[in-house]
Amino acid sequence: MNKLKVGDKGYLVDLCKGQKALVIGLCNDNKSIKRRLLDMGITTGVEVMIKKISPMGDPVDIYLRGYELCIRKKDMKGIIVKVIE
Amino acid sequence: MKIALVGNQNSGKTTLFNHLTGSNQKVGNWPGVTIERKEGQIKGTDLMVVDLPGIYSLSPYTSEEEISIKYIIEECPDMIINVVDATCIERSLYLTTQLLELDTNVIIALNMCDIIKKKGIFIDNKQLELLMGARVVMISSLKNTGIKELIKVIKTKQIITNPHNKIFSNEIERIITKINPCKKHKRFISIKILENDLLYANLKSDVIEIEVSHIEKRYGCKIDEIIANLRYNYIMKIKSECFNQNPQKKSMTDKLDKLFLNKWLAIPIFIFIMMLVYLLAVGVVGSKTVFMVNKLFANLNETTSSYLNSIGVSNWIVSLVCNGIITGVAAVLSFIPQLIILFLCISLLETTGYMSRITFLLDRLFLRLGLSGKSLIPFIIGSGCSVPAIMSTRIIENDYEKRITIICTPFIPCSAKLPIIVLFSGYFFNEYSGLIIVSLYFLAILVIIISALILKCFIKSTSTSYISELPEYRFPSIKYIFFDVWDKTLIFIKRAGTTILLFSIITWFLLNLSFTGFAMNIKDSILASIGNIFAWIFYPIIGEWSWAATVAAIQGLVAKEQVVSSMTIIAGLTESTNTSKQLFASGNLFGFFNPASAYAYIVFCLFSAPCVSAIASMKKELGTKKRMWGAIVFQTVIAWIFSVFIFIIGSTIIMIVG
Repeated sequence: MNKLKVGDKGYLVDLCKGQKALVIGLCNDNKSIKRRLLDMGITTGVEVMIKKISPMGDPVDIYLRGYELCIRKKDMKGIIVKVIE
Repeated sequence: MKIALVGNQNSGKTTLFNHLTGSNQKVGNWPGVTIERKEGQIKGTDLMVVDLPGIYSLSPYTSEEEISIKYIIEECPDMIINVVDATCIERSLYLTTQLLELDTNVIIALNMCDIIKKKGIFIDNKQLELLMGARVVMISSLKNTGIKELIKVIKTKQIITNPHNKIFSNEIERIITKINPCKKHKRFISIKILENDLLYANLKSDVIEIEVSHIEKRYGCKIDEIIANLRYNYIMKIKSECFNQNPQKKSMTDKLDKLFLNKWLAIPIFIFIMMLVYLLAVGVVGSKTVFMVNKLFANLNETTSSYLNSIGVSNWIVSLVCNGIITGVAAVLSFIPQLIILFLCISLLETTGYMSRITFLLDRLFLRLGLSGKSLIPFIIGSGCSVPAIMSTRIIENDYEKRITIICTPFIPCSAKLPIIVLFSGYFFNEYSGLIIVSLYFLAILVIIISALILKCFIKSTSTSYISELPEYRFPSIKYIFFDVWDKTLIFIKRAGTTILLFSIITWFLLNLSFTGFAMNIKDSILASIGNIFAWIFYPIIGEWSWAATVAAIQGLVAKEQVVSSMTIIAGLTESTNTSKQLFASGNLFGFFNPASAYAYIVFCLFSAPCVSAIASMKKELGTKKRMWGAIVFQTVIAWIFSVFIFIIGSTIIMIVG
C-alpha cells in the first residue's frame, strides 16, 4: 500500500497513525452507518487524526471535534479525505 | 411536570439524575451505561425527572437509543434538560440543534465544568446562551456544583421560548416551511422529511423531491450530508465566539493508553487484570472468610436449636428451622465477602474507563466469532449477574451480534455460581482450587467461542459495524462505588432471605415428606422421587445414579446458589464449621463425588440453563418465546456435552494415575 502524502486525496482507511486529514465527503452504501457517521461529526471540512490503532489492527481510534471515535476499517473505506499533515 | 434528561452517551446524565433525585442508579464510564428509562422525583419538589439512554442525534441507531427518541418525540415531556459535555462541545451541540427544533422547551446543562478548567478551556456561557437561544447553566454533576441553580431555573421556568436558529440557507428554509406536516414538532419533522429519513418516508411528496435535487446539485452532495454539514458549520461559528482553549500538554489518558493499548502489552495486561479480579475475589479473600462466616452460622444454629428445644417446641419444627431455614440460607450467605470483592472490582472496571478499552482491544477477535467488541461489556457485567448483563446487550448495534451475545452471556460464571465452584473445588482440589477456578473461567471463554461459532451458522448475518467513542479515564466517585457494591450485595442478601429461604423450606418439606406421610427414610421422600425421574440425565456426568445431586442441580434454576443450599439441606448438615468436609464424607449422600465428577458437575451447573430471572431477561431481549426456548435448550445441551466429556477424560486420568 502506498502511503498518502500531504495534499493527496484518498480514503481515511489508508491513513497512517498520526496523520491528519480533512474530510471531503462520505460515500458509504449503508444509509444507517452514513447517518451515524454524520451525526458523530464526520462532515465535510472536519479535521481528523488517526490517534490509536487497536493492537489487532482494527478498529481505529480517530480524534475529531475534541473527542475520540472508534470505528472499524471497513466503515472508514467510505470516508474520502485530503491529507494535511 | 415531567423533565427529560437528554444528552450524548457518557455525558453524565445519570450522575446528574442521582444528584437530583438522591438515588444511586448505575453509572459508568463507557458509552451506553443507561439502557432504560428511569423516573424519579427531584428532592424536595414535585418535579419528575426522567433519565434516558444517551443519544447522539434524534435518529435512532440502537434499540436503547430508540427508547429515548420515542420518549422525547411521542410522549412529549414538559421540558428537556440537555446535558452537554463541555469537554466535547461540538458533537454535543449537534444534538442540541435538533432538540431546539422540537416544540419542547430546552435548558442546556453544561456539564463537567470542573474538568474544563483543568483542561484550560474557557466557555462564555452568556454568549453561548445568546447564540443558541436556550438557557445555559454551568454544572458539574461529579462535583455536585451548579445543581441548585439548575433546580431554581427549572422551578422558575427561566427559559427562552421559541428560539429560531439560523442554521440553514433561505432556500432550504423555504422548503422546510413548504413541507408543513401539520403535526406536533412541525419544524423538526419537516427537516426529517427533507433529509429523506426512512422513518418519515411515508410523509414525503414529489414536489419537494424536485427542489431537493436542485439543492443537492448545487452543494454537490446528498441532502442528509448537506443538513449535517450546515448544522456542524453553525456550531463551529458559535464555538469560535464563545469557546477558548489553551494549548494542552499530553493528557493522562494518552499516557495510560500508551500502556493499556500497547501493541504487545495490551492483551497480556487485560488477561492479567481479569485473572487478578477473580483470584482476589475467589482465591485470596474467599479462602480466608468462608470459614469465619460458616462458624458464625454454626453457632447461631446451635443456640437456636437449644433455645427451641428448651421452650418445648416439637422436634420437627426445630428441624425445619435449623436443618432447613438456617442451613439453607447460611450456605449462601457465607459467600458474601467474596461477592463484595467481586462487585468492587467490576464497579472499578466500569467507572474508570477501562471497559471501553477492552471493547476496542478485542473487537477484531470477536468479529471473527460473529460477535462485537461491545459483547465484552455484557460478559464482564455477567461475572456479577446475568440479568443486567443481558440487558446491556442493547448497546450492540447489530441484531444478530446482539442475539449471539445474549445466548452466550449466561455462560460467564456469575456471582451466584461462585458458591458452587468454591464448595466443590475447595474440597476436591485443596491448594489447587485457585487454579481450578481460573480454569473454569478459561473454559467459559472456550464454551463461548465454540457456541458463538455454532450459532453463527444458525443466525443469519448482516453487515455489522462498530461505532463508539473512547472516553477519557476518570477517577471514580468513591461514594458511588460504595453504594453500588452495597446495593448489589443487598440484592444478594435479600434473595437469600426470600427466594432461597422459601426454597429451603420447600426442599426441607419435600425431603421429610413421602407420598404417604412423614418419610422415615429420605430415600422414600418426595424429593427423592422427583430426583429419580431425572437422574438419568446426570448419570453420564457424575457416574452415579444420584437423586440428590439431580434435584440440587435442577433447583439451580431458581437461583444458582440454591444448588449449594439444597445440597446442605439434603445432607442434613447443621452444626458444621466445615461444610464441604462433611458434605463429601464417604457414606454420605454426596460421598460418591470424586475430582472428575465434581468438576463435571460444576461445569454442568455453570453452563446449563441460567436461573429464572436470567431466562426472563433473555426472553425480553431476544424478543420471542421461541428464541428463548432455543437458547435454553442450546445452553443445556452444550453444558451436558461438555460435562460428559470432562467426566470421561477426568475419570480416565484418575484411573491411570491411581
